[in-house]
Amino acid sequence: MKGLIPLVLGIFGTFTFSWVGLTVIPNLQIGHLDPQMDEEGTDVYPAPKSGMTERGRHVYAANGCIYCHSQQVRADYAASDIDRKWGERRSAPRDYLFDRPVLLGKMRMGPDLSNIGKRAPAEEENASPAPSASPAGPPAATASPAPAKSPAASPANPSASPAPAASPSPKPANSPAASTSSAPAAGSPAASLPAPSVSPAGGAARAVAAQSASLGAASASPAASPSGVESKPGEPPPYSAAWHHRHLYSPRSISIDSNMPAYRFLYEKRRIAGERSPDALNFTGSDAPPAGWEIVPTYDANCLVAYLMSLDQSHPLKEVKGVAPAASPGLAAPGAPAAAAPSPAASPAKGGQ
Amino acid sequence: MDATEIPLKAPSIPADAPTSDVEQIERALIDASTRVPVLMFYTSAIVWLLLGTLLAGFVSFKLHSPDWFSNVSFLTWGRVRPAHMNVMVFGWASMAGMGTAIWLMARLCRTVLRHPLLLVAGAGFWNFGVLLGVGGILMGDSTGYQWLEFPPYAAIVLFVAYSLIISWAVLMFRFRRGDQIYITQWYLLGAFLWFPWLYAAAQLMLFVVPVQGVMQAAVGWWFANNLLFLWFGAIGLGTAYYMIPKVIGRPVYSYHLATIGFWTYALFSSWTGMQRLVDGPFPAWMITASIAATILTIIPVATVGLNHHMTMQGYFPLMRYSPTLRFTVFGAISYTVFSALGVLISLRSVARYVNFTQASIAYSHLGLYAFFTMVIFGSMYYIVPRLVGREWRYASLIKLHFWASVYGIGLMILMLLAGGFLQGANMDNPSLAFSESTQTILPYLRGRSLSGILLTVSHFVFAFHFGLMLFGLGRTSSVPTFLNPVETEGSEVHI
Repeated sequence: MKGLIPLVLGIFGTFTFSWVGLTVIPNLQIGHLDPQMDEEGTDVYPAPKSGMTERGRHVYAANGCIYCHSQQVRADYAASDIDRKWGERRSAPRDYLFDRPVLLGKMRMGPDLSNIGKRAPAEEENASPAPSASPAGPPAATASPAPAKSPAASPANPSASPAPAASPSPKPANSPAASTSSAPAAGSPAASLPAPSVSPAGGAARAVAAQSASLGAASASPAASPSGVESKPGEPPPYSAAWHHRHLYSPRSISIDSNMPAYRFLYEKRRIAGERSPDALNFTGSDAPPAGWEIVPTYDANCLVAYLMSLDQSHPLKEVKGVAPAASPGLAAPGAPAAAAPSPAASPAKGGQ
Repeated sequence: MDATEIPLKAPSIPADAPTSDVEQIERALIDASTRVPVLMFYTSAIVWLLLGTLLAGFVSFKLHSPDWFSNVSFLTWGRVRPAHMNVMVFGWASMAGMGTAIWLMARLCRTVLRHPLLLVAGAGFWNFGVLLGVGGILMGDSTGYQWLEFPPYAAIVLFVAYSLIISWAVLMFRFRRGDQIYITQWYLLGAFLWFPWLYAAAQLMLFVVPVQGVMQAAVGWWFANNLLFLWFGAIGLGTAYYMIPKVIGRPVYSYHLATIGFWTYALFSSWTGMQRLVDGPFPAWMITASIAATILTIIPVATVGLNHHMTMQGYFPLMRYSPTLRFTVFGAISYTVFSALGVLISLRSVARYVNFTQASIAYSHLGLYAFFTMVIFGSMYYIVPRLVGREWRYASLIKLHFWASVYGIGLMILMLLAGGFLQGANMDNPSLAFSESTQTILPYLRGRSLSGILLTVSHFVFAFHFGLMLFGLGRTSSVPTFLNPVETEGSEVHI
């Protein structure tokens, strides 16, 4: 080849072609999407995430969760992701509108997490998952038949007792979150308790309810298969905040086959000074701290769990054909809070009681 | 390319050579001018290689024994893995590749290296950038974009370093002598011009004026695949185009094939990025375009492979003697395998199974190690003696290095491919629990750790040997180190 000019021009030309073709043009096509909303301008999806959740995304990125967990559901004809109950429909560009960094992932040494927030027990669902409310969750489920009272009794509720305001998550946003979480519980006391185990028993053997139960069971490993899902006393219900903390702290206490490293550096083991911290985790067995000690999640751990619990792509999108029964209850249920879609699991379960 | 030059000869013995004394002296002068910067690049690269190897072993063991050091934040698997990846990509492969590229450019432009201090400064900045970036990742500052984990402050340092290096490369081209631009120079010039644009475009679109949502992933994988093809691939192929004809003393089989190969390579391989995201949340045309481009890379692969093969025709026995040839030919063959595997796993029917499995790790290692790293090892065996004026001390160590690398990378790729396909098959069967798929692959991951031991041995042996050369402990001899004693029959003509 003679002459530098044609060579350099060719080098630039081919590269421009690729750059324009694979980044600039697609950016014109899908780089300026808006959230979807209905005619009244409500039911906006997706919504931007809260500050704590955004911080959780960075904890997720910094600790390399992406190297084992994907966050994308492929279509039913392309793979069996939907059969695995990782989602009810395929993921679409609009689902990731506000994600930065976007964490699609390229490896599944662990299950897909696109919808892990959706699998949380019903009582925590309508609340934007404020982690400080989480320790209240499991005791509420086991302790008292009057759920309206139990959060108040639990020291985690900031509105009830001002003392734990020194807890690591002193966001003022907490108290409305905590109160909304107790509101549905007050409305239908029986339904909202350990949701996945109740709903099949409740005679409301609708397809959706059964699906939500298996959705809970699907990615819990054999150790936690159906019998395991019915949370034993003292164990958090699957995919609740307390469950996530336990899973992060000691993955193999939840699934014996798990390959996940423990993230104990996100937790603080400390001597109980005076009163036990309201955020302290309830561990049993070999993970339990010695007497006089407690294990408390750091702020980062709380953010990470908040982020995980915010992962939910179940809201139907116009551009994606969903599985029909799964999509309809979400659309049908009115009166939902604007930001969070009501889960299909919650509404039929309530109806059945 | 000067085909009359005698291959496998010591650098500065004009008496044996049929070429004119002037050319011999000129070549020695050019080599001397590149000595300091190229050795600096090589030395840093090899230090990074050792560090990256240790990190790799750590990552590999932790993947099947997750409780190892899991209480230490900066040793958690999810931080060490990107640290390993970035050390290898930016520390080892980029620096070694630049070292080889600088030497080749000086030789092919037939001009002494001007302003070597500029390059030394560039190498220093580059090292600093990699150190900063890896430290950032371990401290929890990763950006979360695969292949671009370096936090922005490290990326800036890398960019400054790179501008120092490229400004020199442009300078070199200005002072070149002779009209012909050899094939290797096309590839190297391409690599030198593509890399900054690629890196800048990715940094701009992700951090300065960030694109929305999934476009970040598209930009990220576009960057990753182009880095693999247009930066490492171009340097690797350019080096192979120089080393193979040079060592066997025969011109490249066909210039026209090489032209076709180069332009189709530039055109098609730059479009393959979305092949990593088959059936992801993107418009289908983007992914289809990348799959089509991946299939079309068969054209450059076939032309380059054919060209190398025809050049080597009848000279394959020389691989018995020449370390450079042995490593380079292994790398060139791996390039064909790498591309064929790339075509296979990009097909939708296959990607369904392997997209989210360890098979994609096998693919990256096939490209970055079996192809690129082996070619670069080969070039180092050729170049270092010409820089330090000594020959490699022990043929046995070179052989150990070669075979440990070959068996190591071979075992690793077999394990990851077989394991990856099984993992994918189990994952695609929803009647099996998910943990079944990860349990299936565990024995293969242990096998991969074994291969890591082989590779560690190979790299430490090479580093030791290189260290001997660096400290002037190589052989003083007029004959290069052959892997086996040269037999008298047949091959002597060329050696």
